[in-house]
Amino acid sequence: MGFVTAEHRALLGKPGRRQTAANPVSRESLRRLTQGAMELDPMLWDDEIAAGTRYGQVVAAPLFPLHAFTRAAGAPDPLDKLAADPDWDGSDGGGIRGLAPLDLPLRRILNGGTRARFFRLARIGDAISTQSRYVQIEDREGRSGPMVVVSIETDYRNQDDELLMRVRSTFIWR
Amino acid sequence: MPSAPLTGSGGHSPVFEDLAVGTELPPLTRGPLTTAHLMRWSSAMENWHRVHYDQQFTTGHDGLPSLLVSGSWKQHFLVQMARRWLGPDGWLAEIGFEFRKMNLAGETLTAWGRVSAVEGRDELGLVTCEIGIRNQDGVESTPGTAVGALPLRDGAGPVPYPFPEQW
Repeated sequence: MGFVTAEHRALLGKPGRRQTAANPVSRESLRRLTQGAMELDPMLWDDEIAAGTRYGQVVAAPLFPLHAFTRAAGAPDPLDKLAADPDWDGSDGGGIRGLAPLDLPLRRILNGGTRARFFRLARIGDAISTQSRYVQIEDREGRSGPMVVVSIETDYRNQDDELLMRVRSTFIWR
Repeated sequence: MPSAPLTGSGGHSPVFEDLAVGTELPPLTRGPLTTAHLMRWSSAMENWHRVHYDQQFTTGHDGLPSLLVSGSWKQHFLVQMARRWLGPDGWLAEIGFEFRKMNLAGETLTAWGRVSAVEGRDELGLVTCEIGIRNQDGVESTPGTAVGALPLRDGAGPVPYPFPEQW
């Protein structure tokens, strides 16, 4: 008895569509994010200091790939949505790129945590791609009733298919 | 051991053999995080979720007490704290956290860490730390765990880069 069906289980481990960021990593995107995050490590902007590190050049902070998917020039304006729905909260719904949505008869989705593993740092010019897969879709009995725990693993790679980081995100549907 | 550093911020890495359960990481404090700081971060990452910059919407429509510090800002903050401590010879291999509580505009946040396990494995010193973010009242919002890699005193050499996918 539960919400998870054989169709859901069939999705486990299946790689979703690979998607590549419209805009490559640039010095300007690094500057904006570094300043916004209030990062103080100069290898994120100073060529001379970065040249003395293992990377030999300016690199991005470890979590930078999360923010690589900015809007392409000429792409539709997401804020146009406000004209039709002034109460739109401005979020993208937290969907995972390239994965089939789960059809579950539960409405509330809670963020159950994130784990990231780091292997390489992105460099200026990198075209970052993501590919996700469901790694857990399980019925559970919570204190407030039945729920489904869903975990998604996403790989972030550069244009040479080198793995930058692997992020596991867990969501609780109730 | 001679090797180019893994961070550019100078300083020294902790000596793995000197670490013990309970060793405190130097905390990192930012704030007060004003609405300007929140807006700058939303704009930098092109995230238009209004709870980070639209006060009227946030308190009126969403019924929240004030604008929220972005979860993605907080995860960068934890990474910064951990990397700064690991220093030029260390690599942040893994970080995990849960967003248990909201942090609101105006709060001053401190990222903290404490060593919870040390293990020498495959020529590497792996150090696991309990981490989190507390506000000015000491309320924890983002508890988690970080794993750093440091060279062993008598090990094979520097922490490898790229870092191995299996460890």
